[in-house]
Amino acid sequence: MSRDSNYDHHISIFSPQGRLYQMEYAFKAANTSSGLTGVAVRGKDSCVVVTQKKVPDRLMDPSSITSVFAITPKIGCLCTGMSADAKALVQRARYEAADFQYKYGYPIPVAQLARRIADLAQVYTQSASMRPLAAVTLLIGVDDEKGPQVFKVDCAGHYLPFFGTASGNKEQEATNFLEKRVEAMRDYTADETARCAIMCLGSVLGSDFRGSEIEVAMVEGDGGKFHSLTEEQIENHLNAIADDADA
Amino acid sequence: MGDSAYSFSLTTFSRTGKLLQIEYALNAVANGRTSLGICATDGVVIATDKKLTSTLVDTAHVGKVEAVDSGSGMVYSGVGPDYRVLVRKARKSSQSYYRQYREIKPVTQLVKSTASVMQEYTQSGGVRPFGVSLLVAGIDGDGIPKLYQVDPSGAYFGWKATAIGKNYVNAKAFLEKRYQDDIELEDAVHTALLTLREGFEGEMTSENIEVGIVSKADGKFRVLTPSEVQDYLDEAT
Repeated sequence: MSRDSNYDHHISIFSPQGRLYQMEYAFKAANTSSGLTGVAVRGKDSCVVVTQKKVPDRLMDPSSITSVFAITPKIGCLCTGMSADAKALVQRARYEAADFQYKYGYPIPVAQLARRIADLAQVYTQSASMRPLAAVTLLIGVDDEKGPQVFKVDCAGHYLPFFGTASGNKEQEATNFLEKRVEAMRDYTADETARCAIMCLGSVLGSDFRGSEIEVAMVEGDGGKFHSLTEEQIENHLNAIADDADA
Repeated sequence: MGDSAYSFSLTTFSRTGKLLQIEYALNAVANGRTSLGICATDGVVIATDKKLTSTLVDTAHVGKVEAVDSGSGMVYSGVGPDYRVLVRKARKSSQSYYRQYREIKPVTQLVKSTASVMQEYTQSGGVRPFGVSLLVAGIDGDGIPKLYQVDPSGAYFGWKATAIGKNYVNAKAFLEKRYQDDIELEDAVHTALLTLREGFEGEMTSENIEVGIVSKADGKFRVLTPSEVQDYLDEAT
């Protein structure tokens, strides 16, 4: 098995250089297959996720297309990549969160959920029988001890807490945009957090968009619930950004 | 572990008698960020390069050095997600031991059981070896400080001082020159930081390294806070 060096491209075993090709291919699938870019930003007491909403066909029901999912009332995520894998991951995350609440009697903290999702992803990189899921998750929530948190969990099972991060097609450009603002982010109000994320997406996609073309979801303040912004609320942010740009 | 469809081992002998998957796993370790450990007369120090790829990462909440129980801790080089699995198994095994014997699991026993798990993954069906080498630090049952390295194959070695990961050759040479059998914990921490700095790309700060110590005085393992690390760094300059 290990004599045939091509086998390491098919299942999760090490290549001669010590790489895991299946995991690298999963990353490629997660980042490019959906064509979407996702951005997450953490402010002083709130956090936000933003992505494009691409409805492939005019006959499709737009309300059925989403990459944004609530895991618990207070934790949500943006899951990009192959949509079926993303949905499978979200379902499992919901189960894990509910199981935690059942066993321990209190809602799962964001960091613990991120770790759990990451540990599950790791299993697929070590077992030959299951391929890794081609999905990258940006998890947001407000922890009652640690404040707002943003975690990125990837196909390999890596997970890290971020001040701001991105995933998907234009991940690198978006990250560059956010890196310039990382110091300022720590004091952002809820509105500033949302606008920063929206501006980031706008700048990397190089085009303006309307409220119906992006999805924005937030958790605001301690005790805040994960919720998606309505088209009107998004339009308000877009207008505010345009006004600031003109001023 | 592993699906019944893959109930054959993926790690098999090559014609020359080698277990190539293990060798490749060691390559994965050698690509990882440097970690090192030094065993002193009155304690053990382990440290790692925590340099993360972006300023956007909240490094304060990323932990590479992890306590397994109050008396032992470890650090790794290699594939991070694999490491978490081993930390979890080590912690569970430690609690299980405590439940049975009402004593903290000695570090040597902990290393044996962790190494045994790593060996299983080189022989069981449908799984690949762990892509990490561990450095485990603790005070043994007889009060002697111990530093162990555990490899993907499940082999483990006791060390006076060692390094793993990217820069391990230079780091080990550096340690060999500076190590003395009567070294004390305070000096060991300084030496560890000096060694890390040798191969460090860019500036080494209290934010991009992590240090854990276990001292014979209280027998407790703990990760140093960034301000404690900063104090050591300041003393060094």
